Amino acid sequence: MRLNVAVTGLHAADNPAPGIGVIRCLHHPEKWDGKIIGLAYDALDTGIYDEGLLDHAYLIPYPNSGSQALLDRLLYIHEQRHIDVIIPTLDSELPVFQKLEPALRASGIATFIPPKPVTDLISKANLAELCKDEDIPFPETRIIRDPAELMDAVNEIGFPLMIKGIYYEAYTCNSASDVLQHFDQLRLKWGLPVILQKKIESEEFDICCVCDRDSELLGAVPIRKTRLTDKGKAWAAVTLKNKRLLELSARILKQVHWTGPCEVEILKDVKTGRYNLIEINPRFPAWIYLCTGADQNLPKMVVELALGKKPAALEPAKSGICFVRHAIDLVCPLEYIENLTTLGELHYSPDNKH
Amino acid sequence: MSEIFSSELTMSKNGFLFDHGSGLTYTLNTTGQLIFNLLESGKKSTQILEKLMTEFDVTEDTARKDLDDFYRQLKELGLIDQ
Repeated sequence: MRLNVAVTGLHAADNPAPGIGVIRCLHHPEKWDGKIIGLAYDALDTGIYDEGLLDHAYLIPYPNSGSQALLDRLLYIHEQRHIDVIIPTLDSELPVFQKLEPALRASGIATFIPPKPVTDLISKANLAELCKDEDIPFPETRIIRDPAELMDAVNEIGFPLMIKGIYYEAYTCNSASDVLQHFDQLRLKWGLPVILQKKIESEEFDICCVCDRDSELLGAVPIRKTRLTDKGKAWAAVTLKNKRLLELSARILKQVHWTGPCEVEILKDVKTGRYNLIEINPRFPAWIYLCTGADQNLPKMVVELALGKKPAALEPAKSGICFVRHAIDLVCPLEYIENLTTLGELHYSPDNKH
Repeated sequence: MSEIFSSELTMSKNGFLFDHGSGLTYTLNTTGQLIFNLLESGKKSTQILEKLMTEFDVTEDTARKDLDDFYRQLKELGLIDQ
């Protein structure tokens, strides 16, 4: 059966979005049988111009334009191309896709994303409390909702500590002046709460996971990042065979009733050997293409799950498989950018629906 | 996987050692490669000492020092428990 799959998150710059990796997985090991429709937020989203990856590209409105604007645009694209499945890949767009999920389903467009109550539970502001309630190992954390609580919390945790914005950014603090400086900066930029967390001497592991609707872990690829950018993004990594990481991920995702893809971040305390959950990102990671080398094509599994199929759990990922990210310059005629800028769409494939 | 190691380890013919559990890699010299291969095949310390002496034409003291040093490094790196 030929399926048309639409994917968001096409901008693969220094902080790459996962969409291009997801699409490359769909084309692995052979070109995807149906059409691949790229959903871009900007005419210069880089992945649009990687010829051979997409059949069609369409601009869509930013999430802050509201759910109706996005729905209208998606239904227009659906009418033009017929979308079987959408895979959203960005944190910022997840709430609007969660809201639109019933309307998309009613129109014949399937998704496979975690429900809103579940992503609310694992948000940075709520994760520490959830871990405490569910007995999931987590570094000592304080959620600062009132600046008056700040210094008491700092004294309780002690130095060094991490201070984190509610959405993005994290800094190491070794003194009260570090804390005060970064607290104001994060509060002004992202608002309250701000998160304080004990900094542990640790090794970081990331696991890309997919759970079915019963929160059973069907596929998981654990990695260690072997090179980071100055923004802390993976630029090289290797896959692992680590039973403890898999068991902890499966247990956590079951406890939080997860559905869909995610990236679980775990720190191993080098002194105690204890594994601590740090974060659950509710989407595929940008390094997702590595999963094909580990014999786990998780995006293809998500397409099956979105369509209501029940794929079997995969064999453990193959370890010792590496990726190294590589930036290249894509060359294209001005006409491509013109089409996207003036018409909001670009077509590499013949003009047919299926 | 030999029971002596705390994680699954694979060594290439060039002495490049990969820890499948942590993702860390190490490079072993020829002495380290020989000891690793013997440990992995389940040889006891006395058998490893004999092999080191014959293979590298060294005294028992030198072989023992090399073996102790290798064990110490494995332990420091968390690759063996004992």
